[in-house]
Amino acid sequence: MAGSNVRRDRPATSNRISAYLLHHLKSLLFSLDKIYQAPTTTIMTVAVIGITLSLPGGFYLFLKNIDAISGDFRSSSQISLYLGLDVSDKKARALEKQITEMADVTSTRFISRESSLEEFRQNSGFGKSIDTLSSNPLPHTIIVEPVEGDTFMVRNLLNTLEAMPEVDIAKLDTEWLERLYTIIEIAKRSVIIVTILFAFAVLLIIGNTIRLDIQNRYQEIIVTKLIGATDAFIRRPFLYGGIWYGLLGGIISWLIVEIGYLAIAGPLDRLNLLYQSDMNLITFSFHDFIILITSSTLLGLAGSWIAVARHLNQIEPT
Amino acid sequence: MIEFHNVTKRYEGGFEALSNVSLKLDDGDMAFLTGHSGAGKSTLLKIIALIEKPTRGQALLNRINLNNLARHRVPYIRRNIGIIFQDHQLLFDRPVFDNVALPLQIQGYRPQEIAKRTRAALDKVGLLNKEKSLPITLSGGEQQRVGIARAVVHKPMLLLADEPTGNLDPVLSREIMEIFVDFNQVGVTVLVASHDLGLIEELDKPRITLNNGQLILNDLADTEQEAYSGWK
Ligand SMILES: Nc1ncnc2c1ncn2[C@@H]1O[C@H](COP(=O)(O)OP(=O)(O)O)[C@@H](O)[C@H]1O
Ligand SMILES: [Mg+2]
Repeated sequence: MAGSNVRRDRPATSNRISAYLLHHLKSLLFSLDKIYQAPTTTIMTVAVIGITLSLPGGFYLFLKNIDAISGDFRSSSQISLYLGLDVSDKKARALEKQITEMADVTSTRFISRESSLEEFRQNSGFGKSIDTLSSNPLPHTIIVEPVEGDTFMVRNLLNTLEAMPEVDIAKLDTEWLERLYTIIEIAKRSVIIVTILFAFAVLLIIGNTIRLDIQNRYQEIIVTKLIGATDAFIRRPFLYGGIWYGLLGGIISWLIVEIGYLAIAGPLDRLNLLYQSDMNLITFSFHDFIILITSSTLLGLAGSWIAVARHLNQIEPT
Repeated sequence: MIEFHNVTKRYEGGFEALSNVSLKLDDGDMAFLTGHSGAGKSTLLKIIALIEKPTRGQALLNRINLNNLARHRVPYIRRNIGIIFQDHQLLFDRPVFDNVALPLQIQGYRPQEIAKRTRAALDKVGLLNKEKSLPITLSGGEQQRVGIARAVVHKPMLLLADEPTGNLDPVLSREIMEIFVDFNQVGVTVLVASHDLGLIEELDKPRITLNNGQLILNDLADTEQEAYSGWK
């Protein structure tokens, strides 16, 4: 008891440490056993957590796919150069060759005034009215395919090309793409807000479940306190309970998102087959999975910690 | 072991459950705490068990001042006390063995050691054959004996019992009291609150009697002056 008054038969330190680890293991299994004994409550709680987390998880996956698709667009962005009407066929072809050799350019395609007009005649339905024109109003066109790179590089290239005397108009067809990027950026922030809100909801759900758990085991807490249990000892099974809820809820949310993914991926495959496109949905990577599970587990721990801190210390024997 | 110096306990609401109580219980002593219902017996035991704090005066357990003990030290002090309640306070969701083993688990004993000591404690109260039973299936006397086994399994230096025979018939009451006498004979300090005056008479142990929160009889009183002078 007091310093000099050493207790009889106190276990040796090494025994105490292994007994301590054993107790951790026991609390872990004990909390799992509690879950097993109250399956309805547990399934409900875990399902609610799973559904709650599947929303930000699904949004995240949706954005990941949009990002990948828009990345494809970005790499295929083209610059159209409309030359002056006075530029000769020979001069235009020389210019095309010069541009092809530029560092930031992958390839070029030359469309002559004549073929432009021919194409227009055939596709527009204005064939007859075009025949009445005395001269060809269409310019030579060079389609420039930039190397893959960021917007800044493409803009630079655009400016260089536009400055050339033969070039009348240089047009980058990415304004709508930039608008899309802005929308994606907004969506990303929304996902962050949604994630924070839903994480908070999970925290409350777990906190409340653990609070009820503490109330149900009121008598046990009183008795163990009276026979000398430390706060840490009493806390432990509840904290492990929270960890289990978080972990299982995370796995459920992952399953929900995966099932949703499979439901969409099937029809998309058929679509690809029909249109010979190759849009591929991406799902959670292993890395994403680990992050999802880890954060849901940590949420479980945090939620139970809050409940324990708020309610356990108030229970004292009287 | 236990020293009270002018301890007064006033509950919230102003009721004075103990008034200026001074007493001393030495290591190895056994005494009965008697008095009418509401005299303050439970309050006195609760102060020793760190469930209540004195409003005035000093309460000491093994020279440790119980008045302003840091919260984190409380469990470690309690581990030296075995407490027996009138209503046993058993956990009904687990078998007898697990109930009795609880103090050892809390203190981090190894499983083999827990099994050995738990069986020894159950043997002492004559319930070795009931270790797998659920407490609900036991009689009142048996439940009380499980409570005693749990209180002594970790070999505490002090046993406190609050009306342990309150709900039992005279034969069972006597059996329970004799278990306490046995523990006292192997060196455990014992303080039993009871108003079973006939039984106390028979057992011939010192008595401490409270009346409306005041000490009116103390068979251990002669030692108290000593303790007091030793204190200054
Ligand atoms: N928590 C409490 N709050 C207020 N009054 C209490 C409390 N506990 C006990 N009392 C009062 O203190 C007096 C002594 O109680 P107690 O110590 O339980 O007596 P005993 O155990 O001798 O019957 C009683 O009048 C009781 O009503
Ligand atoms: Mg009482």
